[in-house]
Amino acid sequence: MLEKGKISPRQSCQLLIMALIATAILLVPSITIQQLEQDAWLAVLLGTLWGLVTLFAVYQLGLKYPNQTIYEYAQTLLGRWPGKIVGLVYVWSFLRVTAIVIREFGDFMTTSFMPNTPISVFSISLIFLAIWAVFAGLEILARMNEFIIILVISSLIFIMLLSLDNWDLANLQPMFTADLLAVVKTSFIPEVWAVDTITLSVIIPFLTRPKQALVAGAFAAFFANGLLAAGIIAALATFGPFLLQITRFPILTFVRVINIGKILSRFEVLVMVVWVAGVFIKTTLYLYCACLGLAQITDLKEIRPVVLPLGVIVIVWSFSMFNNIAELELSMSTPSARPILIYLGVPLLLLLVSWFKEKLQKRQPRRAQ
Amino acid sequence: MTSAFSIFKKLNIFKKKEVPTKNRGSAAKKAENDDSPILSERLALIKKRLGESNDVVIREFSSSNDKVKMALLYIDGLVDKKMVNDNILQPILSNTIANQYTEKLTSENALELLQKHITSASELSIAPNLTQALKMVLSGDTALFIDQEQKVIICGTRMWEKRTVAEPETEAAVRGPREGFTETMRINTSLLRRRIKHENLRFETMKAGRRTATEINLVYISDLVNQSVLQELRRRIAAIDTDAILESGYIEEFIEDVPFSVFPQIEHTERVDKAAAAILEGRILVMTDNTPFMLIIPTSFFQFIQASEDYYERPFVAFFLRLLRLFVLNVALILPATYVAVISFHHEMLPTSLLLNIAAAREGIPFPAVAEALLMEGTFEVLREAGVRLPRTVGQAVSIVGGLVIGDAAIRAGLVSPGMVIIVSATAISTFAIPAFNASIALRILRFPLIILGSIMGLYGVIFGLIVILIHLAGLQSFGVPYLSPLVHGTIGDMFKSLIRPPLWMSRTRPDMLKLQQQQRQATNVGKRHVPPEKRELTHEKMEENNAGER
Repeated sequence: MLEKGKISPRQSCQLLIMALIATAILLVPSITIQQLEQDAWLAVLLGTLWGLVTLFAVYQLGLKYPNQTIYEYAQTLLGRWPGKIVGLVYVWSFLRVTAIVIREFGDFMTTSFMPNTPISVFSISLIFLAIWAVFAGLEILARMNEFIIILVISSLIFIMLLSLDNWDLANLQPMFTADLLAVVKTSFIPEVWAVDTITLSVIIPFLTRPKQALVAGAFAAFFANGLLAAGIIAALATFGPFLLQITRFPILTFVRVINIGKILSRFEVLVMVVWVAGVFIKTTLYLYCACLGLAQITDLKEIRPVVLPLGVIVIVWSFSMFNNIAELELSMSTPSARPILIYLGVPLLLLLVSWFKEKLQKRQPRRAQ
Repeated sequence: MTSAFSIFKKLNIFKKKEVPTKNRGSAAKKAENDDSPILSERLALIKKRLGESNDVVIREFSSSNDKVKMALLYIDGLVDKKMVNDNILQPILSNTIANQYTEKLTSENALELLQKHITSASELSIAPNLTQALKMVLSGDTALFIDQEQKVIICGTRMWEKRTVAEPETEAAVRGPREGFTETMRINTSLLRRRIKHENLRFETMKAGRRTATEINLVYISDLVNQSVLQELRRRIAAIDTDAILESGYIEEFIEDVPFSVFPQIEHTERVDKAAAAILEGRILVMTDNTPFMLIIPTSFFQFIQASEDYYERPFVAFFLRLLRLFVLNVALILPATYVAVISFHHEMLPTSLLLNIAAAREGIPFPAVAEALLMEGTFEVLREAGVRLPRTVGQAVSIVGGLVIGDAAIRAGLVSPGMVIIVSATAISTFAIPAFNASIALRILRFPLIILGSIMGLYGVIFGLIVILIHLAGLQSFGVPYLSPLVHGTIGDMFKSLIRPPLWMSRTRPDMLKLQQQQRQATNVGKRHVPPEKRELTHEKMEENNAGER
């Protein structure tokens, strides 16, 4: 086994929550509000369902093939080479997410906080941390996350409570006016639906109690997206949809206007601090999944040799992927078939194949023996 | 083929480098060969081996019937001379006491008679040869050599000047016992025995240090302690191969999990009550001779923000103090770095009036905020170090000159801003509020890189540094126990307990992270504790009634 550590279901749940919240809280509000105005939170809640479908497929597969990651059981299910190709697709998509997260993070930092600093400072320092943490292993990542998640969640809730002063509930009206089709369409934007549950396909074999993965994952999806929906509602109540459509990072603006007694004001830098920690966890988790995948596909004994090269690839990719933040946002907000195929289609396909295989084996019982 | 193989074998033997151990072995053997039962030869050999040191005392004498020659060997200053006289010399030499055995002494039965009937020392043992006997003598025992007899009688006569039990200076407490450990192992063990009067309390002796032969005691409760931790500890201590162990810090360095870490992975204490509490919690105490500092194994980070006093004060007080210490811990680590970052990059975070004040105070100061911070922090570290090393009376003068005069003068001279002085002194006070000195100094060291990071990349740099520290901390272990537990990797109950000290009658279990043999600490006292007012049996009226009845 490439990973020697074990993590508890609770830790996996926390990792998922962190991965879901870290990036979503930044771009999702503006994307969904652009599409749906006051009903943006509906899409987020609906999106949880798709995440649960992925989770269910991954969970079933994980139980059927204990101690195997998706890279391994893809090979047993589909055959050696087709399985490896599916595995490579996953490595590619995990790396892509890593690159997007890093890019998003760098753009966020340069546009909002440090406009004079080159983006490479942020990307490279972040990937440095991620590489180090991947070297340290999944167990240590999970432990760190236990620490960080307390900070992140409590500060998010704290911020929302502080903003109560600025709320105007009239801003939330009219509710439920959006077209149902538009809601469904928006809910398929990969940032919106709880797509990070796919990482469980890699994590489940390292759980101390794999059977609890379903509960842990479902709780994570509901909790994270619930928090996200609450965040959207809070932002809507503060600004109304029209102001939010033209702001890039609504949560940031949202914190900026908090002013309580002229003391508690302008602490959006603290949001940045908390958010850096979250992004670090997400980057590390995805980079870890990609590295473990590549190591398993190429039958390496250790994960170490692939970490550095993949880290460098991710950095370059994050630079070349988009020209600017507007392009990034545009590509985020256009629903495409690719994530649906990879995150929903493939796990379901694998599940179907395993069911068929079981049926076939039952029909021709023990001829070999 | 075979010849090639044999060459390999030879090479292998060559590689093993057994030369030094062989030499040592042969030297010891040679000494044993020289060791003869004849007394005069033996005494010559002793003189050769111990040299002409003036504290070595050899007293030759004969038994009262003049049949057996004997000699006493002890180190002056390590033995109780009165005991040597009364219990060894007196019974053998005098025939005034009605002792029929001294008359019967011959060189054949001397060993048995002396051991069983004549000497009256309470601790008595037999050493098989001179080398063993010398080891005991050097620890303060008295050796009795008998002519024509290979074996040596060893009488336990250890007694030397000891520091009395005093109040621990490094860990003061408002409430709690005032006793601290001393440098003498026997006193220390007695202090622990007096607190834990249970048959399962074990003192396990080991030795380390080739030249110092320092005694190490592992103290634990045998039906509580985790056996694998105990075995690992034994293994690590047995593996120590060094010439000197002068303080428990030596052992700490040899046995800790990650040698290259700023953070202390083993807690030490001078307080007897704290040590006893650790043992009762299922941890292992490593006592080292000649030092009052005992090691507690395993250790997790949150022990450093706990003090024994937490358990003597009421729970609310303890909760408040622990929160305060946690806050202080963060202040000590990141306050100066945050200040530098905010001043250099994030002006918008400050309320406008405060910002204006700070800007006004900083006007005319030639250095950037980093230089200012590093200067002041450096000065503070120097002052602190000077205060520790100087005699106490002079130390106060240093703190006055350093703290008041230099601080004030630096501001007037326009070298540093008053804001920075406030920040640095707040940080300094915070570091002193952390109960464990070794933990607070780790934070002090980390403060400097954080300040530099904060000055380069603002708060992002600070959080970058903190994540680096967190990666390191999350990877640390102390004897199998994750360093950040129970906050990380622990049960939810333990997580809360590390911050909130529950009332004693509520804390039923010992920490889960230690994986002890017995988890439960006490019976459930929860239900018995609170009686609703209408069911109270002892009321004020009843007290009066009973008194009336008595009259």
